[in-house]
Amino acid sequence: MNKKWLLLCVLVIASPIGALFFGAADLSSAALIQCMTQGCQDPVNNMIFWEIRAPRVFVGFLVGAGLAVAGATLQNITRNGLADPYLFGVVSGAGLGASIATLLFDSKLAGQIGLIEMFPDLSFSLALPFAAFLGALFSVFLVQILVAKTFGSRTEHMLLAGIAVSFMLSALSHFILFLGEPFAANKVIFWLMGSLARVEIWYAWVMLPVVVVSVAILLLYGRHMDALLLGDENAKTLGVQVTRLRILSLGICAALTACIVAYCGGIGFVGLMIPHIVRTWLGVTSRIVTIGCVLLGGCFMVWVDVLARVALPDQEIPIGIITAAIGSIFFLMVMSQRRS
Amino acid sequence: MSSPRSLIATNVNLKIGQHQILSDVCLNVSAGKVMGVLGPNGAGKTSLLKMLSGQRDSHHSVSWNNKTLSDYDPMSLAQQIAVVNQLNESVFALNLYQIVRMGLLPHKSLLSRQTSDDDKSISDAISRVGLDDKVQQNFSSLSGGEQQRGLIARALVQKAALIVLDEPVNHLDIYYQHQVLKLLRSLAHKLNITVVMSLHDLNLAANYCDHLCLLDKGQMVAQGSPEQVLTSQRLEQVFKIPCQIRHDNNNAAFRVDFYPPDEVETVLAPTAEDTLK
Repeated sequence: MNKKWLLLCVLVIASPIGALFFGAADLSSAALIQCMTQGCQDPVNNMIFWEIRAPRVFVGFLVGAGLAVAGATLQNITRNGLADPYLFGVVSGAGLGASIATLLFDSKLAGQIGLIEMFPDLSFSLALPFAAFLGALFSVFLVQILVAKTFGSRTEHMLLAGIAVSFMLSALSHFILFLGEPFAANKVIFWLMGSLARVEIWYAWVMLPVVVVSVAILLLYGRHMDALLLGDENAKTLGVQVTRLRILSLGICAALTACIVAYCGGIGFVGLMIPHIVRTWLGVTSRIVTIGCVLLGGCFMVWVDVLARVALPDQEIPIGIITAAIGSIFFLMVMSQRRS
Repeated sequence: MSSPRSLIATNVNLKIGQHQILSDVCLNVSAGKVMGVLGPNGAGKTSLLKMLSGQRDSHHSVSWNNKTLSDYDPMSLAQQIAVVNQLNESVFALNLYQIVRMGLLPHKSLLSRQTSDDDKSISDAISRVGLDDKVQQNFSSLSGGEQQRGLIARALVQKAALIVLDEPVNHLDIYYQHQVLKLLRSLAHKLNITVVMSLHDLNLAANYCDHLCLLDKGQMVAQGSPEQVLTSQRLEQVFKIPCQIRHDNNNAAFRVDFYPPDEVETVLAPTAEDTLK
């Protein structure tokens, strides 16, 4: 146990430092080490280091940690190892919210309806994650209601309800983007595939508090979350206020997913893969899974982003393509394991 | 006013839709006693246990320790009353230790840590139910009897003064049936814990319970000691099947034998409770 945690800690320290060495710009290792230890001498290197590479690694880590924790929480409260923000429609919901915000605040239509004049102080960059959060909340509760009222809580039915909601909300958000501007394809591709290419450091200052507060709440409620694994009835007999805890957890999933999707688009399957690996490797109780997801999810995303940057010469692969490729194979493997 | 740590139900009623599940059920269980709830399928046993344990709102008709269950907040109720339900699913591979440790939950605030006293109470509870060698074993890989004992250990860590169990020996073979009931009786008598459970086997109930109550169609037919409750005339009336009561070893052991009638109805109409389940 201790060796595994030690290995994970080494990985957490080494991954971000290692990832700083990769990128499109020609920055020598010596210059990079100098930037890290004594500060950059060259202003160009300084810019590459502080405005491109470091923010990207930092945001990448937060994205991986947040998505993995959101997935683990969703799996905990649904008692379903295949739950994931992407498959359960949370990502699409957040995308829909963000699309509506784009339409209202950042398009020709926004100018026509005069919304910007009405709210001159409301910055688009803050309205975006808030709208994404509302969209994510909407989808989370829509899936829960469908499961409770119509589909039943069997794994396959939950997944089908999630996928249906996911498609429905994606279609809506793509239509909204199409309405908003004639050349919407770029934005649609961004929501579909996700990307860290346009990351700026202030993204991290929005994501960091959301991730820290969410993880802190989940750690505080660790015993309660564990009790939920035994079923609602059992959890109630241990004094857990199940409905309240479920709403809190769904809110956390929505907030985590929303602040990531708003800035980085839809990145799938991280929330499915990482919790599964953490449970197999470190343990199944909620606090261990949460901490493990933060550390391993963060490292995973940092390296996937490195792969996205270096796999093809002179161009970048959208990060969602890589996570979806790895994740879908992983998903099939988990399904076949469960079957056997 | 009654004695402390006694469970008192006064005119418990439950109606779901048009179905009257329980009608004016009254009972009184004193501390350290084992109470068996008996009755045919659909008599209302599970519903009664849910109301006695606070899982279902009893509208101030059930009190524990001189306070109605409705007046307890969920955490303080869980500090007093433990419920042992069959675990139907364990999605993630929790081990026995992790399940038993959950009994600490009602006694811990969000910020409090697990202390060495807590560790001791967990290991004591696991030893008391005889599962020391299974501590790290995956809970779902344990046998039915071991799982039941594990959940009883969780109730001990919960430091509950009342343990409520719904058919605790269902699906267990004869060896584990006796083992689990013997354990519950010894906990009641040695640790002064009150145990209330539903049972189908009348012989086990007669030999392990201090008190019995017999339900039929949501109504209390009889309650008292096994000798008082289990009479052949009453059992024939409730279970609709002829029976004979025997006392072995100078009344030390009790035996109920049912005799199948010549014609047994093969198709049984579902009862109100069955329909609701």
